Amino acid sequence: MTRPSRHLLTRPPARLAGLLVAAALVLTACGIGAPTTSGGTAFAPELAPDQKVTITFESYNLSQAGTWTDTFNELLGEFSREHPNITVNAQKPQGTSPNGVSNAVPSVQAQLVTGNPPDVAQLGFGDLDFTVHQLGAKPLDDLVGRPAVDANFGGEHPYAPAARTLGDWEGKTYGVPFVFSTPVLYYNASLFAAAGLDPNTPPRTWAEVKTAAQAIKARTGRDGSYVDCVTRVANDWCYQALVESNGGSVISDDRSRLTFGEPPAVGAVAMVQDLVNSGAAPKLSQAQAYPQFARGEMGMLLESSSLQGTFQKGAAGKWDLRAAPMPSFDGRPTMPTNSGAALFVLSNDPAKQRAAWELVQFLTSDRAYTTISSKIGYLPLRTSLVDDPRYLQPWAARNPLLAPNLEQLSRLQRWQSFPGNDYTRIKDRMMAGVESVVFQGADPTATMTAAQNEAAALLPTTR
Amino acid sequence: MTLLVEVPPPAPAPAAEVPPARRSAGRRLVGAAAPYLYLAPALALLVVWTYRPLLQAVQLSTLSWNLLPTSPATPVGAANFREVLTAPELGDAVGVTALFIVGLLPFTIVLPVVIALSARRVRGRARTLYQALVFAPMLVAPVASAAIWQWLLDPGSGAVNRVLGLQVNWLADPTAAQVAIIVVTGWHVLGFATLIVSAGLGGTDDEYAAAASVDGARPRQITWRITLPLLSPTLVFLTLMTILLSAQWSFPLVDTLTQGGPGDATTSIYYLLWEYGFRSFDAGHGAAAGLVFFVVFLAVAWVLVTLSDRLSFHDD
Repeated sequence: MTRPSRHLLTRPPARLAGLLVAAALVLTACGIGAPTTSGGTAFAPELAPDQKVTITFESYNLSQAGTWTDTFNELLGEFSREHPNITVNAQKPQGTSPNGVSNAVPSVQAQLVTGNPPDVAQLGFGDLDFTVHQLGAKPLDDLVGRPAVDANFGGEHPYAPAARTLGDWEGKTYGVPFVFSTPVLYYNASLFAAAGLDPNTPPRTWAEVKTAAQAIKARTGRDGSYVDCVTRVANDWCYQALVESNGGSVISDDRSRLTFGEPPAVGAVAMVQDLVNSGAAPKLSQAQAYPQFARGEMGMLLESSSLQGTFQKGAAGKWDLRAAPMPSFDGRPTMPTNSGAALFVLSNDPAKQRAAWELVQFLTSDRAYTTISSKIGYLPLRTSLVDDPRYLQPWAARNPLLAPNLEQLSRLQRWQSFPGNDYTRIKDRMMAGVESVVFQGADPTATMTAAQNEAAALLPTTR
Repeated sequence: MTLLVEVPPPAPAPAAEVPPARRSAGRRLVGAAAPYLYLAPALALLVVWTYRPLLQAVQLSTLSWNLLPTSPATPVGAANFREVLTAPELGDAVGVTALFIVGLLPFTIVLPVVIALSARRVRGRARTLYQALVFAPMLVAPVASAAIWQWLLDPGSGAVNRVLGLQVNWLADPTAAQVAIIVVTGWHVLGFATLIVSAGLGGTDDEYAAAASVDGARPRQITWRITLPLLSPTLVFLTLMTILLSAQWSFPLVDTLTQGGPGDATTSIYYLLWEYGFRSFDAGHGAAAGLVFFVVFLAVAWVLVTLSDRLSFHDD
């Protein structure tokens, strides 16, 4: 056996060490961080009839095999038949997170560093500020002209008014809203009946949720409710819906000040804490909670419709899955926010930009939404499609789960993105505070005020 | 009888003994450069892949920048370091890391010694099987085992609670989550540590024990007075590994099972560093944190290596 310490202590001759340091210094001198400036965005002319273009499209919906990937491959196949001169290379974000959504922005950032970003990227609304200011998303108004952008939002089945501006930032349209959900209260009608509750009148306020959940816990032994909005993993979109429904906000209107430590925002967190403390909600992680609901072992779950397919599969033939609108704070109108993502054009080449725009138009068309909504469960942002028998009407008639989600679309609030390079750390700080209040019983006011003060130091203006 | 072979200094190359006067300056130069030329490919790679990035990290740590070529890199001096050192989460992360280290020591020192000592009594094929079984968890990919542990630790239908007859919510309660991470990490590295201890035992000389038993020493005395002291270099090495690598060993499990939570209960300094570097887009801040941890671990490693020479008993 050799002694490890001898190896660690072995030293190269001093001359050699000097040589190594010198070499490293010389190599470093060529430097990091020489910024190049980019000018404004010019108009991207129409493609010539015989012009061949190849573009890359990056979407987190391609990172999950099965329904998501199949649906997207089907759509891209249709696009290439319609546009034989445009070749689309579809790819999923690179990264380590099993949740493809979390990989989306880091993946684009990494490719930008190497100078080769995807031409079209599907990026979350919570990353909008960073996408516009740092990832260099192209303003579509400059790229293809305001009338063309408006025409795409219009058409026979126009976008829901609340949805069409979600990809706008500082007066320009950067992203075309693509796939998202609002917070929906899924509930297990079979458990409701077993607990002696009326499955046809789901809770409408959080106070009613608490009563119903306690009844389910007491009479069936199953967990009553879970609000999947109060952990770091859940991200902050539906936490923001809770805060705004209680009259609060997470950031001031002029985006200079954080506000999630103020009383209305704290009140929303205290409500969820009370659900947990009173036994109406279990202490579970997201990864534990939604499979438990899918197994039919939980009464209610506030969740995005992107998991609707999972619940339907779990419920089929075993229990009665139903959906209700997000509960309110004592009857005050709810302010549902959106999850999900928009499509952004990142290309710098005019021909690719035009080809990218063609792809964006196709993916947000009546036909594409018919495929996406019926196969994945996302909201059809062109809402009147559900009344058109040529498109989603037959599907909507069979799917009562869609109604609450669609109704909330009319009252949609923007999912606020935080500013600056540290926006994810601000979000993490905030959600870590929320998590410790709800699940570790920390004092709501003290914890959220401290989290706000800590996060405030990460805002770009104070640097 | 020497167990730890000291490698003698290499004999001077014969070329150096040739009287210099008889050789031209050019040939002398080639002769002197030859060893460096042999080393050059390896050194070049070391410089390009290790030392250069290290220096770039130093440079990066003085900037406020998100790495994007379109964004300006603003020099901020030592501000990134100030921020890292005053961050409220840093203290918690250091505490969690220390807890992981202390919690893992039984799995990397105590249990492996017990297992290796008892395994010595097993002979023949059974011994190989025994060692293979102990080593097996090390071969399971951490992320895959984490997925299985997630089911085992489920508060409702998990096997752990059913077997222990408990109602613990393992991954959602701060203390329970820390225990869970330590035990699962320990389960993972136990086989590796046992292997090292077995190798250490294999390297000790049986004649001491035989001589002692002739003199009437009981097995217990032989273990405590002879075997363990002879094993001390191995044990010190394992301690050093545990202190330096605990946070790395637990990282994939933390990432898969708890994501640093609940709250910050399982955010070790490596997880914090990863969050700084890859969850936020503040490369300067991440680089500063990386350098601080690098320097601290360098100091810890140096202290431990120095101590290891004093603490170990060498059968020279």
